[in-house]
Amino acid sequence: MRIIRNATTLGLIAGLGLAGAVAQAAADPIPTRQAIMSSVGAAAGLGGGMMKGEIAYAPAAGKAAIATMRAASLSFGNFFPAGSDKGNSDAAAKVWSDAAGFAAQLAKFTAATASAAEASGKSGPADLDAFKEAFGPVLGTCKSCHETYRKQK
Amino acid sequence: MKKAVIAALLLVLAGAGIGWGLSAPTRMSAQEAALLTEGDAARGELVFWAGGCASCHAAKGADGEDLLKLGGGLRLETPFGVFVAPNISPSEADGIGAWSLVDFANAMTHGTSPGGENLYPAFPYTSYVRMSAADLGDLFAFLKSLPIVEGKAAAHELGFPFNIRRGLGLWKRLFLDPAPVIASPLNGADVDRAVWERGRYLVEGPGHCGECHTPRDFAGGLVLADWLGGAPAPTGEGKIPNITPVEGGFGSWSAADIAYYLESGFTPEYDSVGGEMVHVQENMARLPASDREAIAAYLKAIPPVSAGSD
Repeated sequence: MRIIRNATTLGLIAGLGLAGAVAQAAADPIPTRQAIMSSVGAAAGLGGGMMKGEIAYAPAAGKAAIATMRAASLSFGNFFPAGSDKGNSDAAAKVWSDAAGFAAQLAKFTAATASAAEASGKSGPADLDAFKEAFGPVLGTCKSCHETYRKQK
Repeated sequence: MKKAVIAALLLVLAGAGIGWGLSAPTRMSAQEAALLTEGDAARGELVFWAGGCASCHAAKGADGEDLLKLGGGLRLETPFGVFVAPNISPSEADGIGAWSLVDFANAMTHGTSPGGENLYPAFPYTSYVRMSAADLGDLFAFLKSLPIVEGKAAAHELGFPFNIRRGLGLWKRLFLDPAPVIASPLNGADVDRAVWERGRYLVEGPGHCGECHTPRDFAGGLVLADWLGGAPAPTGEGKIPNITPVEGGFGSWSAADIAYYLESGFTPEYDSVGGEMVHVQENMARLPASDREAIAAYLKAIPPVSAGSD
């Protein structure tokens, strides 16, 4: 009896653990938001590299950088639920203690990518100057959020 | 017995006397003061950005023209208590409008107020002490040209013993030193000596980089053996990085990477500047490119600090 009960408990724990792992893989917000932010970094690297002249400009590449930023700006803010301040994260406590301020920074990011996406059009900004004009303001929003809502590192 | 008591009493009094003497606020010598000349406000503006004055003395979140309104009020929450940045606008009643150039230089290089009080080193005179007389004159001329802001900032909020200003005199004897931290470029570094020295001047003097990037000991003095080796953030969360040319860390940045970061706010991996460094980077972006390159040259040729908080 005791053995059976233990086995049942064990099974229950194992089942819960599995369910937990599945739920985590689907919705753990920290790795999700980090993956989104690393796509932002990659887009900034592509765009910045073209602006510096280290990578040859192509409208398709300009479009890719802008579209990545656009998608990130629309989704990033959804992965900071209450309680996700614990763990391996560079997010500062202010993300939660000053949620309105954080939302305002996200709104700036989203507004900048909306204008850039509009300028980008169907085939991307035609030349480097057009790209700089569209992409520069997007890059400008990075530090305005990182100043307050990311831990210093 | 009576004699012993008297002797002990005398000893205590002598000790107190020495302590009182050693804690006295110091001032420039007459010869040093004679080197000061009224400066040029236009040149002083560059010194102003190099020194990061607005980052503490302008209102929190100030931008554009508001960075030139130096009414103070910013609260620095540190392990020693809360320091509130004072008004340094040219208001005669509340700022530095009634100061002479010598008063200003004594504050900048000796941490001593015109009234003869010790100033708290949250005001980084331990770095400003390395500034040239010419830069001090130019900076003072620029500060005098800025808008007057009325109203004194709130008082500091400090517990005992940090609320005793006199005691800072002893602290200054230990930690206030105009000598350069790094005497010469790292052995074997292929660097133009004049450029490196300009970088050293900016980093160790007005830029006061070491105040955050170097760890402090229990008394709040910089541990110069770990110069720029990284430290816990003095305010807020996180840490301040090691910016010495250490392998597997900042050493992988080229001089061009460093200069570009100071200009644009982007790391070689296109991560962006954050935290308190945002203001610093925006100040550095206002300097001539040659100054950012000099800072980079200096940082590439100083001793790497491996045991760090990086």
